[in-house]
Amino acid sequence: MEYLREEVIKTTSEYDKERLSAFLNKQGLTLDNDIEYSMALTDSGRIVAAGSFAGRVLKCIAVDEDYKGWGLSAKVVSHLVNELYRRGRTHLFIYTKPQNKNIFSELGFSPVAEVPSKVILMENRADGIKRYLEEVSTARKKGGFSAAVVVNCNPFTLGHKYLIEYAAARCDSLDVFVVWEDKSSFPSEIRYRLVKDGVGHIPNVAVHKGKDYIISEATFPSYFIKEYEDYVETHAKLDIAVFAEHIAPALGIVKRFVGEEPYCPVTSVYNRIMKEILPVKGIEVEVVPRISYKGKVISASRVRELIKMGEMDKVKELVPEITYDYLTSSEADKIIKKLG
Amino acid sequence: MEIKDVGMAGTLESSDIMISIEKNEGKGIEIELKSTVESQFGSQIRKVIKETLEKMGVTNVFVRANDKGALDCTIQARVEAAASRATQAGFKPWEVE
Repeated sequence: MEYLREEVIKTTSEYDKERLSAFLNKQGLTLDNDIEYSMALTDSGRIVAAGSFAGRVLKCIAVDEDYKGWGLSAKVVSHLVNELYRRGRTHLFIYTKPQNKNIFSELGFSPVAEVPSKVILMENRADGIKRYLEEVSTARKKGGFSAAVVVNCNPFTLGHKYLIEYAAARCDSLDVFVVWEDKSSFPSEIRYRLVKDGVGHIPNVAVHKGKDYIISEATFPSYFIKEYEDYVETHAKLDIAVFAEHIAPALGIVKRFVGEEPYCPVTSVYNRIMKEILPVKGIEVEVVPRISYKGKVISASRVRELIKMGEMDKVKELVPEITYDYLTSSEADKIIKKLG
Repeated sequence: MEIKDVGMAGTLESSDIMISIEKNEGKGIEIELKSTVESQFGSQIRKVIKETLEKMGVTNVFVRANDKGALDCTIQARVEAAASRATQAGFKPWEVE
């Protein structure tokens, strides 16, 4: 095994990318298009094991059939984990086939949730989700009939405000989770702050950071690609499984409100899967129709369109005052420039 | 020594141990150990980790250790490296004093 070479595969090089793709295809995997870093173990130039990561998720890990049992997956994972720590990422996830669960358990990963025969999500600590839920638990309004809403709010519009008010009026306590992945035009901290301040007047609402476990790069990677592929359904199932098996029971949530999604195919698949799975787990789902302004439904994507075109008067009609104030402040300058 | 960052050292290969060290404000030294030889050497591994940290003057830390049958000297070296990365102290254990 000492004669195997450890190589960093540059996915910017067409030749290397082709080599890696060919190896993965042979193992029944495809090289995801969001890969940030890849490495391989080679035997006289031939790839015999490989692994990659995107953000804080390890993926596309495979070992050639003839080289199994040599501990190569440990070598690959060690390399990737070391590189991730060097980049300051310490809370890591693995996205893999359920039959690989034992291999990665031995490498220090614990299961978070599984879509049977499709995919399993594991994290590199035993208490990750438990710690997150303890943190959320201390910040929430407890008691009675509890419901949840998950929002991205890119940026916070009158539509989001309506959804939260509508839900809050129909339960005793409402938990609002803001999607935490920094892949939207507006940074997580800003989206969170606008929602938190924008619904501060409703006494039974608590706003939380969605962190790693609600529509994140780990639980629902395709949400951030926004293109429909057949794996979207699997990703959606995984995200809902985390919600149904961990978040809802730990917090006592029995209902989820969701905004109707007429446009984005990824989100509408997500909503459909939610309606299929959650009621079976004893969690009610209510789809709330969007509100309109002058005959057109209010959506964050339309607000971004209008900002891009510089039509701030029209933006003003679709967003709460707090969002408008932010958008017209100097703080928003840079982000608005990037939109355009 | 104050922990500023998460520090990590080691690999998951046979005879090695992967150690990661992070802040654990006011809770002392806590160790989460996973080992292939847990039943035989679990308490000895914990002892080596704890003593190494104490010798370095590191007090409130959460240690995740994933052991693949490392010897005591390996454990000690990995803990020292992880801790020095976590404290960013420029700790150089290879220097003879």
